[in-house]
Amino acid sequence: MTSLVQAWPYVAAFLVGALIPRRQSRFERFSLGLVALLSVAFISSLWPEKAVEAAAEAPSEWPHLLNFIVLLPIVGAVALLFMPRQSPKLLRGVTLTILAVDFIASLLLLRTPMTDGWHFQYVREWLPAFGIRYHVAVDGISIWMVVLSTFITPIAAYASFGSIKKRTKDLCFSLLLLHGAMLGAFVSLDLFLFYVFWELMLVPMVILIGIWGGVEKIKASYKFFLYTMAGSLLMLAAILYMVWTHDQLEGYPSFDYLALSRLVLPKTAAYLCFGAFAVAFLVKVPMFPLHTWLPDAHVQAPTGGSVILAAVLLKLGTYAYIRFCMGMFAGPAYWAAANLAGLAVGGGILYAALVAWKQPDIKKLIAYSSVAHLGFVMLGLFAGTQAGIAGGILQMINHGISTAALFILVGVIYDRRHTRLVSEFGGLAKVMPIYTACFVLVTMSSIGVPGTNGFVGEFMVIMGTFTSPVLGSHAKLQGGLAAFGVILAAVYMLSMVQRTFFGPLSNPKNQHLPDLNVRETVALAPLIAMIFVLGLFPNLFLERINPSVAGVQSRFMSSMAAFRSQHDQDPTRAVMLPRPSGKLGAGYPEDPKKPAESAATASAEEIQ
Amino acid sequence: MQTLQVVFPPTDFTLLAVILGLPLIGAFINGVFGKRLGNQAVTLMALGAVGASFVASLLAFFILRGQQAESQSAVRLTWTAWEWLTLNTPNARVPLEIKFSLDALNATMSLVVTGVGFLIHLYSSKYMQEDPGYYRFFAYLNLFVFSMLVLILGDNLPVLFIGWEGVGLCSYLLIGFWFHEDANAAAGKKAFIANRVGDFGLLCAMGLLVYYSGALNWSGIEAGAAGLATQVQIWPLGREVPLAALVGQWINAPVYVDASTLVAMFLFLGCAGKSAQLPLYVWLPDAMAGPTPVSALIHAATMVTAGVYLMCRMSGVFVMAPKAMLIIAFIGAATALLAASIALVQNDIKKVLAYSTVSQLGYMFVGVGVGAFTAGFFHVLTHAFFKACLFLGAGSVIHAMHARIHDTEASQDMRNMGGMKAFMPITHVTFLISCIAIAGIPPLAGFWSKDEILYMAYTQSVSAPEAVRAVYPGLYQWPAWAGKALYVMGLLGALMTAFYMFRLYIRIFHGEFKGWTIVKGWVDPHAHAHGDDAHAAHDGHDDHGHGGDHDHHAFDPDEPREGPRPHESPWQMTTPLVVLAALAAVAGFLNAPLIGLHVLDDWLAPIFTLAKTGVTSVDPEHAMMLTLAIPSVLIAATGVGVAVYFYYLKGGEPAAAIAEKAPGVHRFLMGKWYVDELYEETVIGAIDSLAEFFNWADRWIIDGIVARLTAGIARLFGSVLRFTQTGRVQAYAAAMVVGTALVGYYLLTPRASAQLFEDDRAGSYRVEAAPGLGYSYRFSSQLTEDGEFQLEAGDAFHDRRTTSFNLERGQSRTVRVEVKDAFGHTSKWERRIERPKTDGRPPGSVDFNTMIQQGADGRPRLVLPPGHPEPTLPDPGADPQGGAQ
Repeated sequence: MTSLVQAWPYVAAFLVGALIPRRQSRFERFSLGLVALLSVAFISSLWPEKAVEAAAEAPSEWPHLLNFIVLLPIVGAVALLFMPRQSPKLLRGVTLTILAVDFIASLLLLRTPMTDGWHFQYVREWLPAFGIRYHVAVDGISIWMVVLSTFITPIAAYASFGSIKKRTKDLCFSLLLLHGAMLGAFVSLDLFLFYVFWELMLVPMVILIGIWGGVEKIKASYKFFLYTMAGSLLMLAAILYMVWTHDQLEGYPSFDYLALSRLVLPKTAAYLCFGAFAVAFLVKVPMFPLHTWLPDAHVQAPTGGSVILAAVLLKLGTYAYIRFCMGMFAGPAYWAAANLAGLAVGGGILYAALVAWKQPDIKKLIAYSSVAHLGFVMLGLFAGTQAGIAGGILQMINHGISTAALFILVGVIYDRRHTRLVSEFGGLAKVMPIYTACFVLVTMSSIGVPGTNGFVGEFMVIMGTFTSPVLGSHAKLQGGLAAFGVILAAVYMLSMVQRTFFGPLSNPKNQHLPDLNVRETVALAPLIAMIFVLGLFPNLFLERINPSVAGVQSRFMSSMAAFRSQHDQDPTRAVMLPRPSGKLGAGYPEDPKKPAESAATASAEEIQ
Repeated sequence: MQTLQVVFPPTDFTLLAVILGLPLIGAFINGVFGKRLGNQAVTLMALGAVGASFVASLLAFFILRGQQAESQSAVRLTWTAWEWLTLNTPNARVPLEIKFSLDALNATMSLVVTGVGFLIHLYSSKYMQEDPGYYRFFAYLNLFVFSMLVLILGDNLPVLFIGWEGVGLCSYLLIGFWFHEDANAAAGKKAFIANRVGDFGLLCAMGLLVYYSGALNWSGIEAGAAGLATQVQIWPLGREVPLAALVGQWINAPVYVDASTLVAMFLFLGCAGKSAQLPLYVWLPDAMAGPTPVSALIHAATMVTAGVYLMCRMSGVFVMAPKAMLIIAFIGAATALLAASIALVQNDIKKVLAYSTVSQLGYMFVGVGVGAFTAGFFHVLTHAFFKACLFLGAGSVIHAMHARIHDTEASQDMRNMGGMKAFMPITHVTFLISCIAIAGIPPLAGFWSKDEILYMAYTQSVSAPEAVRAVYPGLYQWPAWAGKALYVMGLLGALMTAFYMFRLYIRIFHGEFKGWTIVKGWVDPHAHAHGDDAHAAHDGHDDHGHGGDHDHHAFDPDEPREGPRPHESPWQMTTPLVVLAALAAVAGFLNAPLIGLHVLDDWLAPIFTLAKTGVTSVDPEHAMMLTLAIPSVLIAATGVGVAVYFYYLKGGEPAAAIAEKAPGVHRFLMGKWYVDELYEETVIGAIDSLAEFFNWADRWIIDGIVARLTAGIARLFGSVLRFTQTGRVQAYAAAMVVGTALVGYYLLTPRASAQLFEDDRAGSYRVEAAPGLGYSYRFSSQLTEDGEFQLEAGDAFHDRRTTSFNLERGQSRTVRVEVKDAFGHTSKWERRIERPKTDGRPPGSVDFNTMIQQGADGRPRLVLPPGHPEPTLPDPGADPQGGAQ
């Protein structure tokens, strides 16, 4: 009886959700009810008091959970190859089931309180002779990236099954492989493993654009591939150099992040390696002036591809910047922060917003708006304050959700009219009221109206920038200019909304467009629910982000100090800092030749 | 009362949740389910929600009053909903909660919002009756009331900001409510963007406040306001201006402003956006595209006064910035004059009221600008009553005009009206009362509030608290003429106000009705789809479902037309008029110091204790109050008199004659000073061309260099190398022969090379020659700089690849390695080796690894040996928070 009483919010949420649709579709009613119920359940299970209770009885971390999450889609993709091409229904069903199971599994991650340090860590030797290991773990930052991916991909898959009818098997295979690769890249703590996943993502994405894309799909997929590849090859060179240096200092090679982040490279090498990593990640973000692949890729990509590309793939760039650039090259990252922040503000937030304003194609406009939004993310990271970094991470999640919703919405009219030119539309509000309502709502989230998710990230980034000591005398200027970007966001989004949805319904081709169908509504519902969950309860996320961000930020500052003092003494020497202790040091790679004693002291050898 | 205080304790004042929650639920239910519920249920829901919210506000008001009377000091009843987010900055940890608080200021304001809001909801239930978007309208309106309540009840700036942008959003949706017309949607967008410019200011202000005062909630800001007494360098932006040498070093001369001035100006930018002050007022006249009740509620009574509310709320910060306050007061006065001058000649009755609103808001900013926060807020109150009444009256008139004229512009044009007094007695009387109130004729409300502002402007100046001035003496002092100038500007504005309001009143209600020829028992020949013609009218948008056939009611002034007698509005519309007119008549007695009433002053005094310390008055005994009030009454009477003479007695001839005499001035005022055009040409035009240029540059310069140029280079190499791939076997065979020859030559040439293993500390060195096929080796050394090379082991080449030797400190030698291959060709390699005089490290240096130790908190820290110079570390302020999470 009491459990029934306790369940009333869930029941109420389900009923309200189920009542929303005006159509008589049981499936739609059930889905919306479920979305409402799950949103309430999500909020209440992460609520601080509840979380404390949960922490007390926290289940011990099942070490294979991450392996399961990462490998399930990859194994599923391979299994899919053995299924008949002739039965697309089966293929779609299997794909969605795998993705749904993956999503539920990733929610289990959230049951563990995210204290600073690694969780769900799993280490296994892979190629011991080269110091390559299978090393995965999450912290408060990557856990949200994992959940974001497992949340977005099923929606993207579900939405694309509505519009893509040809070569279903290839589509399902690509989606699953892409999903596994993205998750792998988010949880890898071994640079070799990371690199493998990083490159593995490229292939399915290129396939997605190249097969189901628009008119210039081949060109766009090449451009996407070459840009990313150029960056990652630089990164590979830097990784190899670092591993070699580690071998010189410690006597054994290691690709492990924990080991390599303790490495202080000689001055020139440090700046070069930082540059190589940064270029690889900033291409992916993308940051001005390396951004021009993104609009092309988005315009040509199918809806599902665009959703994944914008919502998750771009986050790999920003996430990797925190993890690897700030984690391994604190000194150069600190040194470059003020200038890069200027680039993020000038080239991202302001320039991209102005360019977005002038786009005739809705999808291209949203692509440029992504550049502007990710400018905010990068600004937060460069600012290097806890508020800025945490805001940047929150903004990554926010951007994933809003932009995914926007791309699905654009896909809706593209499916109906096979054009995305703003000039083809006008007055759509009259024929597609529900669609318009959803679009305006997501627009508000995208331009950061408080109460929606878009605001909290931007707000924290701007506050973090204003108070940033890293940016020095520029901090307030850059914070102010970033705040100015908020005006431009309203300008370009609202102009587009006005020309597309309001005014007279002038184009006769739009007279009889049908409103959102069941599939589209169901795909959008969880995203719209999350817009409000994130906008109103960001602390649920920040509670788990903040401890890790505090750790990342303090390690960033202390390794920067170590980098400086080392280079004041001798800029030509590479040294190893002492290995981290406690939870952070768990899984540190040992010298295979003398396993017992090497843990005692970290030696500083001279090379050359 | 006792029970209530127990049920609602001051720190968990859940009554606020009721006040806020009801309109939100109303908005949700109407918005999502409204279409299925039907108009009756929507009306019930919307009115019930706001009405109940008003009752709850009233209850909260009395609880607060009871507690304030008990404790004799400022009481703040708070309710924390949940933790929103936390800002961890290097200086402070700023927790931000979704927290609401009630004190004297916002308790009063929430009564206005829910009370006037309820009346306008009631009015709209009839006014919007036939609109197909009825449920949507009430959803937006309820959402607006909710947002406005969040704005005024929020306990910190970010929560206020939720409401701040929320009301902006509702305003956007409601201005563009009839989105089928481009102009309406464009007006909504313009309002949103102009508001966003203001929001930019608010965001910057929040950033600076976090930095300087380390808090964003009201009590924290007030406590940390002293942190604003510092200087900020605003020029040069970075360390120095790039290329300063080209223009001279003067450009690098630093410019400083007070942090308080900067914060106050940014806050004011936010207020100017929301409250339609120069330079951002341009959106408000356009916002009249929305339904008239919206104009009354949002664009007159509540939302636009949010800026004044914010200034009152942040009074502790504003009094720290005398310079900013002087600017604000003058901007307010200039806005009042500019808008009043435009209102003089407009013919659209809603436009006149809109400019009048801008002008009255200007007065409020004069009030708060001179530090008279109570006076400014008092004007907010009285203005809410009389201006809402005026707008609703105008709506009532427009509603009547719609019996025959359906075109939006024509139905609002006062040239088509006249003589309405006979048809609409209630509307007429209430409109007249409100006109007298706004014109500033005693004893109606407008006189008291406006007169107090003018008196304060003359006598009072902002001087910052004594304590701040003591530690921070550089603060700006107001010049003596400022008060007089503000007073004169205010009087001039009052003159124009009285004139244009009575011009409006007379042209609507007196004279001859010019809309159409009244025919008794007239029946619409183009029988309307909606049947009941008398009530079908609502701003000319009843034809939404009919596609584009506007022609049968397009207004043609030359065509003589007939129609029914204009009618008075139904009770749902007249009741709000009566209530508001009554309030407009008596609300002035809340604060009428001339006759010894200070209810509002006493009520708000605890809120403005800090602000009071920051102002000085030349007339502390209030001796000049009566002297200064007399001119203001006289000038209002003059304005009314002139209007009566021009339009009532002479039928508008003198006005037309003046317009003819000075056509330039008339055109300039009709063209609204061409401010919109100016913005279009300058700011908007510049940004637009910049965007066009960027769009071009992104395609041809950025993409051109990063993608096309690199692709071109690759293609160039490709096309050159393509010539080598001819496909002819002979060419490949020739290439093979040449290649084999080259490889053979390479293999047959010996190349000496060696790797050096140095140990400077031990002084031992080893040379290892690189191996090669069929090589034999020979080592020799040159011991002195230009001595002979001495072979190591006789003359012979041998198979041993290494040699080693020792060196003393400072000693050096050159090692030579010679290799000989199987064909007897030789090659040699030389390297000079020197053992350093010292141990490889500079004297006094230490091993870095011993310096870094694990601190107690688990973080590495540097341990320096005694006497070692401090290494250059980053600013220690950079990371005080560190691992404190």
